[in-house]
Amino acid sequence: MKNEELDHIIEKSFRSEPDFHVSTDFTRKLIFLVTSREQWKTDLREYLFLTTVLILLLAVASGTYYLIDKDIVIRIFSFITQNTLSVAFIVFILNFILFADRVLLRLLFNRWNRTN
Amino acid sequence: MQHLIADRCQTPGMNDAELVNQVLNGNMNAFTFLVNRYQKLVVHITGRLIQRREELEDVCQDVFLKVYQNLGKYRNECKLSTWIATIAYNTSINYLRKFKKGGEVNSDDRAVFEKLADFKSDDYEKADLHRYIREQIEILPVHYRTVLTLYHLEEFSYQEIEQITGMPEGTVKNYLFRAKALLKEKLKFVINESSLKIVKEINNEK
Repeated sequence: MKNEELDHIIEKSFRSEPDFHVSTDFTRKLIFLVTSREQWKTDLREYLFLTTVLILLLAVASGTYYLIDKDIVIRIFSFITQNTLSVAFIVFILNFILFADRVLLRLLFNRWNRTN
Repeated sequence: MQHLIADRCQTPGMNDAELVNQVLNGNMNAFTFLVNRYQKLVVHITGRLIQRREELEDVCQDVFLKVYQNLGKYRNECKLSTWIATIAYNTSINYLRKFKKGGEVNSDDRAVFEKLADFKSDDYEKADLHRYIREQIEILPVHYRTVLTLYHLEEFSYQEIEQITGMPEGTVKNYLFRAKALLKEKLKFVINESSLKIVKEINNEK
C-alpha cells in the first residue's frame, strides 16, 4: 500500500509541468530575429550578385575595347599600375558605398528597430 | 492567397508535414504556429537541462533558430516533435559543456541521495508535496532529469528517447528506474506509514 501510494505521488509529480517559462512575447521576438537574419542573407547575396555583375561588365568592356582599340586598354592598365594606391582606394570607397547601401544600412536599421 | 495560407496556419488540425512545407515555402505565419506548437516541449527540455532561468530564453531562441535553419534537412523519418526535441537536447548539452556544468553528471546514487533535501515530515500537511518532489527532480543528475522529462512529461517512447539522446534503451530504462528509486527512498525515509494517509488526502485534494 505504501509503495503503491508513493509510486502514484512520484509519478504524478513527474508528469506535472516544471516551473520554467519564457516571456509572453517570445514568439514575436524570435520571428523578428529569424526575419532579420533572412533579410541580412538576402541583402548580402544581392550585394555579392551586384558586385559580380559589375566586375563581369568591366571585364567584358575591357575585352571588347581590347579587340577594337588595344591602345586605350593598355593605357588604362598602365594608368592603374602607376596609380595603384589611388585606384585601389577609389574602388574600395565605391564598393563600400554599395555594401553600405545594400547591406550595412539595412542591418543597422533592423537592429535599431529591434532595440526601440 | 497569402491571407488564405495564414488562415490555414491558424488551424490547430494542420499536420506537421503540411506545416513544414509551409515554413519551407517561406511562410512566416506557419513558423509562428510551429513555434507556438512546440514551445512548451523546448522550454521543458531546455529548462530542465540548463536550469538557468535567466538564459533559458536565449537557449530556446537558439533551438528554434536551428530548427528554422535545418528544417530543409528534416526527412519525416521521425516525428517532428522528436526531431525538435533532439535539437533542444543537443543545444542544451552543448550549453552545459560550454559553461562546464557537465560535472554534475554524477552516477553515484549515494552521493545524489545525500544531496536531496529532507522533506520535513512535521510540516508536510501544509507543504506542497508535489512541489517538494519537483524541487528534488532539479537536484538529480542531468541524465536522470532528461529521461524523466522526456518519458513522463513529454510522453516519448523509449525508442524515441534513444533517438533524441543517443542513450541505449536499457540505459534510459535504468535511469528512469534509478531516478524514481532515489526519490522513493528519500520519501520512504521521511514519511512513515501513518502520515502517508494525510499525504494521500493532500494528493486527492489536488
